[in-house]
Amino acid sequence: MTTAIETIDAVAEAAARRRAAIRRYTRHPGFMIGAIGILLLVMVAVAAPWLAPHSPTRTDLMNTLARPSATFWLGTDQFGRCVASRLIHGAQVSLQVGFFVVLISLSAGTIIGAVAGYAGGWLERALVAVIDILLAFPSFLLALALVAARGNTLDSIILAVAIAYTPRVAAVMRSVVLTIRPRPFIEASRAIGLTPWTIVLRHVIPNALPPVIVVATVSAATAILAEAGLSFLGLGVQPPTPTWGNVIAEGQTAITTNPLISLSAGLCIAYTVVVLNLLGDGLRDTLDPQMRRNTGKLL
Amino acid sequence: MVFYIARCAGQFAVALVGIVTVAFFLMRAIPGDPALYMLGDFATPEALATLRARLGLDLPVWQQYGIFLARALQGDLGMSVVTGEPALAEILASVPSSASLAVAGMAIAIAVGVPLGVIAAVRQGSVVDVAVMLIALLGISFPVFWVGITAILLLSHALGLFPALGATSEPGFWKGLHHLALPALVLGLSVAAYIARLTRSAMLEVLGQDHIRVARAMGVPEWRIVWKLALRNALVPVLAVIGVTFAWSLGNAILVEAVFSRPGLGSTILKAVLARDYQLLQAGVLVLAAAVVLLNTVLDLLYGAIDPRLRQQ
Amino acid sequence: MSAAFELRGLTAAVPGEKRAIRLVEDVSLSVHAGETLAVVGESGSGKTVTFTSSLGLLPKPGRVIAGEALLEGVDLLKLRPEELRRTRGARIGMVFQDPLTGLNPVFRVSEQITEVLRAHLPISRSAARDRAVELLTRVQIPEAARRVDDYPHQFSGGMRQRVLTAMAIALGPRVLIADEPTTALDVTVQAQMLDLLGDLRDADGMAMVLITHDLGVVARQADRVAVMYAGRIVETGTVAEVFAAPRHPYTISLFRSIPDIEAPTGTRLTPIAGSPPDPARRPEGCAFAPRCFAVSDAAGCRSVRPLLAGVGHAASCHRQSMLETTA
Repeated sequence: MTTAIETIDAVAEAAARRRAAIRRYTRHPGFMIGAIGILLLVMVAVAAPWLAPHSPTRTDLMNTLARPSATFWLGTDQFGRCVASRLIHGAQVSLQVGFFVVLISLSAGTIIGAVAGYAGGWLERALVAVIDILLAFPSFLLALALVAARGNTLDSIILAVAIAYTPRVAAVMRSVVLTIRPRPFIEASRAIGLTPWTIVLRHVIPNALPPVIVVATVSAATAILAEAGLSFLGLGVQPPTPTWGNVIAEGQTAITTNPLISLSAGLCIAYTVVVLNLLGDGLRDTLDPQMRRNTGKLL
Repeated sequence: MVFYIARCAGQFAVALVGIVTVAFFLMRAIPGDPALYMLGDFATPEALATLRARLGLDLPVWQQYGIFLARALQGDLGMSVVTGEPALAEILASVPSSASLAVAGMAIAIAVGVPLGVIAAVRQGSVVDVAVMLIALLGISFPVFWVGITAILLLSHALGLFPALGATSEPGFWKGLHHLALPALVLGLSVAAYIARLTRSAMLEVLGQDHIRVARAMGVPEWRIVWKLALRNALVPVLAVIGVTFAWSLGNAILVEAVFSRPGLGSTILKAVLARDYQLLQAGVLVLAAAVVLLNTVLDLLYGAIDPRLRQQ
Repeated sequence: MSAAFELRGLTAAVPGEKRAIRLVEDVSLSVHAGETLAVVGESGSGKTVTFTSSLGLLPKPGRVIAGEALLEGVDLLKLRPEELRRTRGARIGMVFQDPLTGLNPVFRVSEQITEVLRAHLPISRSAARDRAVELLTRVQIPEAARRVDDYPHQFSGGMRQRVLTAMAIALGPRVLIADEPTTALDVTVQAQMLDLLGDLRDADGMAMVLITHDLGVVARQADRVAVMYAGRIVETGTVAEVFAAPRHPYTISLFRSIPDIEAPTGTRLTPIAGSPPDPARRPEGCAFAPRCFAVSDAAGCRSVRPLLAGVGHAASCHRQSMLETTA
């Protein structure tokens, strides 16, 4: 009898806690704007073939650098391609880069960082030294050199940017793990004889995830900026495939006749980066207020 | 203090060996054959073999590494394939232009970012704070090359305030500065946004500390508390981020140089990439990494000057 | 003789979910030149808030909503910010609890003392530095002239508290508020620190407020005592009166909870059950009622807020008369 009531109470309490947590998110304006903003963008990217009024690659040399009109919302570029359609399709490249770079650099960086923070001894010192040295290489330059060596397909760009930004994630992960290592439950796990690998995978990484999730959203933004930069330099996904970066580059040559091309592509990038940063800041505030300090310093 | 300086110098030397080592293995670890990369896909097997032998690629990896390290420490980073000149010399020739851009950009970033961050922290939650944080968010969100293009469009084409070209062959310090101004501003503002965000959070933390409450209780004027007593504490984490953002802004400098057609490390590296000049690219990467390490060493010395506790350890 | 420092009905609050949460409520006390008033209570009872808010140092969004804080007859709460700043540190000094965090880690001690002196006086840097050495000597820091240019981390906790005291008395204040000045220090250093404060008070004829939770300190150092509980003063009087015949159940419980060297062996200590109420959820009636051994519904303990009653030695308890007859 009492146990049944206690169970009901416990369930009710858990539900109340969950509601409180959800409210914490829904009441955070930055988080909501960021979450809705990124959702919209994903929808645009997925629905690009249907949303875009024209083919993003069809040229029309009779209608170059047209002014914005009802048919060509943002006008056309110097090859007569519809700028709006190119931007809508460009979202696909940016989002893929953001998503996969985070996936790769986060998995690799989390494991490397967790081991570097937990291992102790020579392994820790060696990993920390390598991470520190890698941090000295400007990430964008590293990505550029890697792309130069591997060619500029989408895969190799994603891999290059991911490799270039992994040390950063590893560094954050390690600093977080260092704060977890002395906690009693880790000591307890060790006392009951769990192997270091089990402790890292089951206890260290899950407890370090909140700050890493924040870093993930922010590094998605950084990755998108890096891809745009590579595209702008002509080292990204090659034209005619539209990317926001190469739209800006192509628009630059026609900047005085139709500044709208470069301007609107830049706004697309900025929109994406802003919503990702808002999402990241929102997560930082809501996941764990204490975390502000851990991640605040690493951009 | 002398001991502290010596230790920083020692760390600098170790880090240099470190970046050479990491660069070597990173370049070997990525798939792809440098010889094939340099000669292109249609190279004959004989030509490839000759080039491999010339680059020492036919030796065992450890031997290659030994030779590479020994040469690198003597300042020999190989020859540019395109020009036949020593790669390091060619890279170093473009350093002054990039260094002036990076230094000017950093100076603008600090001069703008630190005060804005302090003001936002002091007026936490006010309209000023929200505005500064919003501008900072936009500052880190727009791609730097786009900001450059837009700045050219507005300030050069429309208003005619600055030249659209980021460099000039005309002699004269002021002429050069006039051409440097816009690229430096563009490079600096994105970094300023980061610095402002960080200064704000560092200041908020310091302003909540006991010694600030003590200073208030002693009647120290608020402006002295903020701009002297609190700021010097907040500068330690800010300096740390300046080290991180410097590496980041060197990456951005490549883009800014491209936008403003300004010669420098960025354009040299870009040229190396497009010409598949492997040795030149490698030298460029190493020199930039060395610059970051050098800056971090200088920052370590500055920490020691700011925070006496660090000198002692 | 008028009081050097006097609080009248001070009430400070922070905005709450529905209404303002009162951190301290209707606090009145006074302290005269050359005298030490001890303010006693558990942590969270509002001792510190009382004095930080009277100096205008309550962190936002907290604020004083009623009352006066009179320094030699002038209400500090009515001063303009700049006037208040000139008063703070110059005419009323404060020493805080934790000497380890109270000094700025990146400035030399000489720079920090100079900063205080130059905030109030038009003196040169070198004159300020000379004065800093004198002050450090006054608070009995050995080799003051050599140590004045050291950084805080080069001093021990006790020495840092002396430095902070030197800063607090640098401009010869009329009133010195010492907020648990010895809590963070080693037991061996505590007595030295308290003696130093007593000597400084006597030498300058300052009025001193000693905030503490240590009744031993009260007995040794103070002339009068005010006991605080849940943001209010529940008992006040001379140390002799209160120690001889405590009237508030909280004060009585406090005495029972500390070891007494003269008590017969085998006497048990009685800790006070429960913990002080959350300021946002103070009970109606007497705030101490839930923990009180003498609580009575008939006397109105749970419904009517008791007022401080009595001349000189006063207590706020509905059951005072009963307690007096049984005590």
